[in-house]
Amino acid sequence: MSTIEQEMVHAAEGGHHDHHELPFIRKYIFSTDHKMIAKQFMFVSLFFLVIGGLLAAMMRWQLGYPGEPMPGGMMLPDAMMAPTPNGAIMLPEFYNSLVTMHGTIMIFFAIMPLLVGLFGNLLIPLQIGAEDMAFPRLNMISFWLAVPAGILMLASFAVEGGAAGAGWTSYAPLSASGEWTGVYLGQQLWLASLTILGFSSLVGAVNYITTVINMRAPGMTWFRMPLATWALFVTAILILLAIPVLAGALIMLLFDQTLGTGFFRPDVGGEPLLWQHLFWFFGHPEVYILILPAMGIASEVLSNRARKPIFGYHSMVLAIIGIGFLGWIVWGHHMFMSGMNPLLGTSFMISTMAIAVPSAIKTFNWLATIWKGDLHLDSPMLYALAFVSMFIIGGLSGIFMASTPVDIYIHDTYFIVAHIHYVLFGGSLFAIFAGITFWFPKMFGRMMNETLNKVHFGITIVLYNMVFWPMHNLGVQGMMRRIYDFTQYEYLAPLQPMNEFISISVFLLVATQSIYAFNFFWSIFRGEKASNNPWDSNTLEWTVPSPPPHGNFAEMPVVYRGPYEYSSPESDTDFYPQTKSPSKPPVQDLIPEPVTPTPEGF
Amino acid sequence: MSTGEAHKPPPYMLVWLGLFVLTMAEVGYAFITAIPKLWLAIGLIVMAFYKAYLVAVYYMHLKWEPKRLWLMVAAPIPLIMILIFVVLNEVFVP
Amino acid sequence: MTTQAMTAGRAPMPGMKVYNLKLGMWIFLLSEVMFFTGLIGSYVILRFAHPEQFADPGVVLNVPLTAFNTFLLICSSVTMVKAYAAIQQGDQQGLKNWLLATIVIGASFVGVQVYEYIALASEGFVPIAEAYHAVGREGLHDGPVIGGQLYGSTFYTMTGFHGTHVSIGVLCLCFTYWRAAKGAYTADSLGGVEIMGLYWHFVDLVWIILFTIVYLI
Repeated sequence: MSTIEQEMVHAAEGGHHDHHELPFIRKYIFSTDHKMIAKQFMFVSLFFLVIGGLLAAMMRWQLGYPGEPMPGGMMLPDAMMAPTPNGAIMLPEFYNSLVTMHGTIMIFFAIMPLLVGLFGNLLIPLQIGAEDMAFPRLNMISFWLAVPAGILMLASFAVEGGAAGAGWTSYAPLSASGEWTGVYLGQQLWLASLTILGFSSLVGAVNYITTVINMRAPGMTWFRMPLATWALFVTAILILLAIPVLAGALIMLLFDQTLGTGFFRPDVGGEPLLWQHLFWFFGHPEVYILILPAMGIASEVLSNRARKPIFGYHSMVLAIIGIGFLGWIVWGHHMFMSGMNPLLGTSFMISTMAIAVPSAIKTFNWLATIWKGDLHLDSPMLYALAFVSMFIIGGLSGIFMASTPVDIYIHDTYFIVAHIHYVLFGGSLFAIFAGITFWFPKMFGRMMNETLNKVHFGITIVLYNMVFWPMHNLGVQGMMRRIYDFTQYEYLAPLQPMNEFISISVFLLVATQSIYAFNFFWSIFRGEKASNNPWDSNTLEWTVPSPPPHGNFAEMPVVYRGPYEYSSPESDTDFYPQTKSPSKPPVQDLIPEPVTPTPEGF
Repeated sequence: MSTGEAHKPPPYMLVWLGLFVLTMAEVGYAFITAIPKLWLAIGLIVMAFYKAYLVAVYYMHLKWEPKRLWLMVAAPIPLIMILIFVVLNEVFVP
Repeated sequence: MTTQAMTAGRAPMPGMKVYNLKLGMWIFLLSEVMFFTGLIGSYVILRFAHPEQFADPGVVLNVPLTAFNTFLLICSSVTMVKAYAAIQQGDQQGLKNWLLATIVIGASFVGVQVYEYIALASEGFVPIAEAYHAVGREGLHDGPVIGGQLYGSTFYTMTGFHGTHVSIGVLCLCFTYWRAAKGAYTADSLGGVEIMGLYWHFVDLVWIILFTIVYLI
């Protein structure tokens, strides 16, 4: 039998394996099961999310109380905090590291692995009806490459000179030589860590793309795939094509630092702007990598909790593809103030305004989806609604930034910081909360506590806006990013009280997350037991037990319809699962016959 | 392997000969001083990409693969052109 | 049961009629295209931005030797494709022989490149800014410096990464050979050989372009 035929028979058998019970290490540590790998990514990423939050809190101490001794500061080494009789005061170099590492860790080690590592691994095979990913061992390698990358990143705090301090964007020439940041090994570890992580993401992307193309169950045509899968598929393509360019740039920068080459160093004839172009050529698709899966998750939750089909499914798919496509030609909007060719400024401005269109289409479609729906305002829905609203705000501030003349004024100010956090926290992170809550029963067989989640949601959404909304004002008033002590500028000194307000809100916000953390861990052990389909959902993952067995589906699922048939007249309930046989005779060419094994076998 | 259409064996040796001839042609062409540098570069790039095309289509069997695979393989090409074209604008400011 | 019988009367299995391993390898190669684009693209940009730091073809680099090396790599592509053709006919011995030929030629390519690196370095053509002192192949060892450190940096980075990919390819070929010796491949199950071939031809393809852009322009 040919390889294709072997694969099809194997899948048709429903993935029954003669597996003896796996030893602990093969089942939990070096697992090749996509569901276990998803959980591994989840636990590690949540850990890094906490670290990233703590780094931000420390930053906010310095901004809220500039030059004042930080509580607990005496525990940190002298390289980070200068000891005084009253306590330890943060050093500017450490502040720069905090800024850099907060961004790096949140983007690469928290949000990306949560959206792509957790949800990509968990949802793709289940939603398309496959028994696992196309390359399960490669999947395991993908996770186990991310771990040393994370260790290297954390280790960089402990080396002499401290952690990288040139911003998460690591612009040359500042980053190209330690003599200007005071950071030597730390910057190199940063580069090495991201290169390894890039490789991890890359092999993951190969896996996701192959799986979605080749391993869909019968009847699961492209336009019957759930939007979460579509979003993850396009995201994987972005990862596949963007990360290698970053890798090349990181390696060249590493050579500049260690070997003394001069790719980006003007003092030896290099081009700093080349770094910016290479970095942002990757960097812009990267931000779509950080938002597309969140959009997919939101579509799933909104449609399900409103008991209504997604409005405009086809245009949602085209919008995802459009965002993925246009995302390649807008990168220069990060460089309006870099001194690049002004003509490029104009062309990037136009393309950036254009990319607002597919995002707007999606937003209007979400609103139309919930319009007059039978809204179940439980916590996944609340998080998803927050996603849409906060993403709208973040998107609107993006329109301002897209306009080059306006950006001349607000570039590198807190206006940008506000935008970033509205889309990444207000957008991606709320979607992650929605997704974890929604698929928690599928992962652990138990529900999260609904009351605790609602409390967490209510407090978080308020505090979060108290933190980030004022940053729009701060930015327009001229407060710049990445600054250790803005009070040194007389015109910024009046902004001190606002900064203190934000800092206090941040401390409370970070503390509030403990509610979700507690709920998460408590529910794993003591949550209310969940059925196969606690949300009455249509997609394939809800047809299997919670949690699903190895191999997922006992027999190959057959798909008859799209994923958003909620409140359909053809069903006697308000949902109509994709795999449920239609009661009326279906269209001729889609009648599947059950494949029963004959005595001779296949 | 029952993948791709059944086809007669590809002309591997003929392609090899073509690649050899083109390589010689390239090296020779590169040293013709009479031609302006721009035409030199264009001619060499064209020859190089044609050689790459031969390798992809015959040795990597693209010719007998589904057209969708061709589409996938072509995907990076616009990205490459965009990156190089845009960044070149930095160097040649009008 | 044949594919035909299994899908008779059923909704056809969606998906590309390209099996997973092969599809996965093609997808991976696309990412490699982008990687080399970043490196070669940077070279092109830097060359346009600072032409005085580079030199005309043949002045510093040894074109005849590298042209021969290019030819070697193309030959190894032929031997690889012959190996694949052999196993398509179920010819185990042919598979092993042609794989071995590919390994030998591939290793020779790397060997020639290492020799080239050593020769260039001894002429003062190095990647490190402070130590760069290229004098050209015909020049005296203490002659005027040709080009600048960008030339060395970009040259060694591009060819070095390509050489690394070739070396990894040679190691994978050895692994493939070892599996072939154990009889792991048959006419019906030659995915491993096919994807090895795809990677190897890709490495050749990149070199074809690299050679032209770096050595001839």
